[in-house]
Amino acid sequence: MSTITHWLHKTGGRGRRLAAYAAGELSGAERVRTESALAGCPGCRREVEAYRLVARALQATPRVSLTAAEAQAFWSGVEQRIATRARPRPLTARPALREVFWDHPRLSLASAAAAAVLVLGLTVSQMSGWLYWGTSLPNGVEVLSVEPGGDAPVMLFQAPGSSLKVIWVFEERPTE
Amino acid sequence: MGGKVPPPEQPGLQDDRYLVERAQQGAREAFAILVRRHQDRAFNLAYQMVRNREDALDVAQEAFARAYTSLSAFKGDATFGTWLHRIVVNLAIDTLRRRRRGGEAPYDDSRGLPEEPEGDLPAPDDPATALEAKQTRALLARGIGQLPPAQRAALILREIEGLSYEEIARAVGCNLGTVMSRLFYARRKLQQALKAHLADLR
Repeated sequence: MSTITHWLHKTGGRGRRLAAYAAGELSGAERVRTESALAGCPGCRREVEAYRLVARALQATPRVSLTAAEAQAFWSGVEQRIATRARPRPLTARPALREVFWDHPRLSLASAAAAAVLVLGLTVSQMSGWLYWGTSLPNGVEVLSVEPGGDAPVMLFQAPGSSLKVIWVFEERPTE
Repeated sequence: MGGKVPPPEQPGLQDDRYLVERAQQGAREAFAILVRRHQDRAFNLAYQMVRNREDALDVAQEAFARAYTSLSAFKGDATFGTWLHRIVVNLAIDTLRRRRRGGEAPYDDSRGLPEEPEGDLPAPDDPATALEAKQTRALLARGIGQLPPAQRAALILREIEGLSYEEIARAVGCNLGTVMSRLFYARRKLQQALKAHLADLR
């Protein structure tokens, strides 16, 4: 084995150098040195030839074209994708209030109870001029607590025989 | 939105940069001309990567749609073609990785090999040579299919698309050293995949 061949085998990246040489990607001194080394190394020459055959086979890979129909419809397909992307996202519709109550019967019951208490409270208020908050009202709805609060008094009450508690907030409509 | 693409007859329409500028200003028809000009090459690149017409068409169309929506980010440092290559390659790599994650082989013989592409190479006159070429192509396709997506991209861009190392680096978004490394490993694997066949040919 000649000194030059020895260099090719000893230096790191022999395979890289041969692959690069086969692809014509070595330049100047490195190419000349590799060529000299190849002269004394039949195995290296076979390797270079194999790389070249692979490259030739790759370069001979047939190009694949769109069919006439695909080419014709290509832009439309792109446009559709662009349009889908540009279109603003549809807002998720909030359910109507009646749908909420329809889907949640317990809320309907609570609302009915709250309305009853409110009507009763207003009636008592009108009749006596002040609210009477006992532990039990005539219709059986039990008021658990009343927080006077500032602008919005809060009342917690419970329907008889139900574990459901209802919070009612009395909020005045802002005056114009 | 119509599906018609205006013919590039006017002066300036031959120039990609001009069309990109017009498209950036909102001229959809300028982008349509760019699409028509580059669609075959984008499709071929996508096909070489994913080896399936349906997936290739999907990748190519999606690449143009993404290019359009990020057109404002295109500064003209590279050509429109190189920029598009990058999008195609990245989408193709995503497709290959999805296949792998989905338990599907990254390269499926039933997708690639029987679908002999209707390329533009004339068939050799000699039947033995034609068979040999076909066998080589089949082995090559199988070998390419076994390459990791990033190596496959580097190899295809270099050997099939004929891009320079610098163009490949820009197209796949890595440095020159990485391109050289990926190319070396890809070539070596292919050489090993074809070794027995190459020995027969000698």
